[in-house]
Amino acid sequence: MKLPSKLLAMLCLLTSSLLLAQSPVSGFMKKNNEGSVVISYSMEKYDKVFLVPQEVDGVPVFNEVTNTSISLYGEFGITDNLNVVFNVPYIKSEGEATEGTLESLGFENTREGIQDLSLYVKYNFHTFNLGKSDLSFIGSIGLETPLSDYEANEGLQSIIAIGNHASSFNALGIAMFKTDSGFFTTGQVGYSFKDSGAPHAFLSQLKVGYAASKFYVDGYIANQLSEKDGVDILGEGFTGYFPATRVNYTRVGLNAFAPIFDGIGISAGANTYIAGRNLGKSTGFYGGLVYSF
Amino acid sequence: MKNLYIKSVMALALIFTFGACETESNFEDSAPSISYIAVSNPAFSALEAAAVYGGVAGVLSNSNPNDPDGNYTVFAPNNDAFARLGLNEDNLGVLQQSFLTNTLLYHVSNGNSFGSSFVNGSTSTSALSLDRRFITRGGDTYINGSKILATDINASNGTVHVIDKVMIATGGDIVQSAIALQSAQVFKAPELTFLVEAVVYADLVGALTASEGSPSFTVFAPTDQAFKDLGTALGLTFTQPTDIRQLPKEVVATVLLNHVIANGGKFTSELDAGILSPLGGDPLTLGAYTNGTLTVTGVGNGSAVANMAIPDVQATNGVIHVIDRVLLPNL
Repeated sequence: MKLPSKLLAMLCLLTSSLLLAQSPVSGFMKKNNEGSVVISYSMEKYDKVFLVPQEVDGVPVFNEVTNTSISLYGEFGITDNLNVVFNVPYIKSEGEATEGTLESLGFENTREGIQDLSLYVKYNFHTFNLGKSDLSFIGSIGLETPLSDYEANEGLQSIIAIGNHASSFNALGIAMFKTDSGFFTTGQVGYSFKDSGAPHAFLSQLKVGYAASKFYVDGYIANQLSEKDGVDILGEGFTGYFPATRVNYTRVGLNAFAPIFDGIGISAGANTYIAGRNLGKSTGFYGGLVYSF
Repeated sequence: MKNLYIKSVMALALIFTFGACETESNFEDSAPSISYIAVSNPAFSALEAAAVYGGVAGVLSNSNPNDPDGNYTVFAPNNDAFARLGLNEDNLGVLQQSFLTNTLLYHVSNGNSFGSSFVNGSTSTSALSLDRRFITRGGDTYINGSKILATDINASNGTVHVIDKVMIATGGDIVQSAIALQSAQVFKAPELTFLVEAVVYADLVGALTASEGSPSFTVFAPTDQAFKDLGTALGLTFTQPTDIRQLPKEVVATVLLNHVIANGGKFTSELDAGILSPLGGDPLTLGAYTNGTLTVTGVGNGSAVANMAIPDVQATNGVIHVIDRVLLPNL
C-alpha cells in the first residue's frame, strides 16, 4: 500500500511542541512546495521532581507546577529532499506556592511569555529502496534561541521559568525505515551545543509507528543526557542558576493523527517521564489542529 | 540490500542503547547534600522554607569552603521545632530575613561532628561564631535546650543531626537581645517592648549588660501581653511601654529582679522542678520539666503559672526564656 502524499505531508508535524520533549524533526520528508502548519495546545503537570540522588515528593517552594503552552509549528519542503522546520511556543508556567511563601520570598506563582524559536533544516541524503520498504538517512541542523528576554536567573523563583534563556545549536542524524504496509521506525541521535552556561547534551529518540490512510499513530522513547559539567540541583556547584543544571531524562509518549477534510487534521498525544535528573516528573497531553498544503 | 538494512538498524539500535542510558542507578547510591535532605524530607519542610528564605539553601548544597574536607555539621530543627515558635513553612515572613539567616548559621558548624563527640559540658562553635553546649539529661543528649532526636545522618557535604527546638541566639547580651526583639530585628512585629522600657526605667541596663568578668544570668522575659495583663490586674491600663512608668520605680525594679537568677544562665535542659532564688523579690517555683519546657511561678502569682513562649534564647551573658506572665513577688 502506498501512502497518500497528503497524509504523509501531515505526518511530519506530529512531533510538535510540548517543550520540545520530543525532537521537532521527524523522519518524514515534505515534498517540494508542500508544507504544513500546526497550532497546538499542551498541558503538563508535576508534583514530583527528579533530583539527585532520589526523586522528591513536592516541588520545592512551588509544591506543584503546571506548564501550558500554545505552539505554532510549521514545516515546508524547499525540495523533495530539503525541508525547513520551525516551532514557536508561548509558555505559561504556574506554581502552587502558598500566599505566605510568596510573601516572604517575594516570589510569584506565574511566569509566562514567548519562549524560544526553533529553526531546523533537514536533508535526506539518500533513500535505499529495499523492495517493499524504504530506508532513508537524513541529517538535520537547527538553532534554538530565545525570542523574548524572559528571566531564567531569578534563583529558586526560576523553578517556574519559561525556559533556560539559552541558545543552542543542534545536529541530528536520522534513520527512517518504513514499509509499504505503513509501519515505520525512526531512530535519531544528535548533539546540542548550548550557551549561557547550560551544559551541552546528547539527544536520542526511537520511534515506531503506523501510518495508514485514515489515521496515524506512533510511540516513542526520547532521551537527553547532559554533559557532566552541568550541576545537580542542591548539589555541588549549585548556585540557584537553573540553566547550568545537568538535565537528563527518558520520556515516553504517544502521538496520533487523523485527517478530517481537505488538508485539515487533528493531532493529539500524551507523554510522561520515566526517569530523569534535575527536572519535574511531569505527564502531559496535547491536542493540535493541522493544516497541510 | 536487505543486509544493509539490518546492519543499519542494528547500528542505530546500538547507538541508541549506548546513548539512552539515563538511569537512576547512575547516582541513586550517592550521598545527598544537606540541602537535599531538608528538601526531600517532609519533616523538614519548615527548615527547607527557612533555608530558602534565609538564603542558605545554595550554601548547604555545596562543599564548605571553610573546612579542609568540605564538610558542615548541621543541627536540623524538624517541623515540630518550628511549630513551638508558631512557625511553619508558610509564615516565616514574620521573621526578619537577616535574623533568620543568623539563626540558621547558629545551627551550622564547620567540619563533621558526630554524635559520639557530644559529651556533657563540651561546646561547639557555630558558624555564627557563638558556642553551643552539649548537655546530657536522662538518656538524652541536648545541644543548648534542644534535644537531639537523631544523629549522624550522612550527607555529601557533611553530617545532619535532628533537634526538637530551634536554637536562638541574637549574638548580643541579655539587654541587646531584648532590644533586638523590641526593635523588630527578630520578628517584624516588635516584642518585649514593655520589658525593655521597664529595664531602662528601673536603671537595670548596666546590671544586665555583659562586661569583663560580669556574671551570667537566667532571665525570664515577660511578653508585652504579659505586661498588659499585669496592668489590667492592677486596675491600670498599659497600652504603650511608657505606661509602665505609672508604677513606682522601686516596685518595677523589684519585680524585674524577681525574673533574674544569677546561676550562670541555664537552658531548660539544665532546669528541674524546684525553687530558684532570683536577685530580688521572692523565690520562684519551677514546675516539672515537660517536653522541653517548665512552668514558672512567682510567690505573688498564686496558682497562675507562667509558660515559656520562647525558651532557651542564648545571650552572651546568659539564657533568656520568654514567658507569658509577669512573675510577681510579694509586694
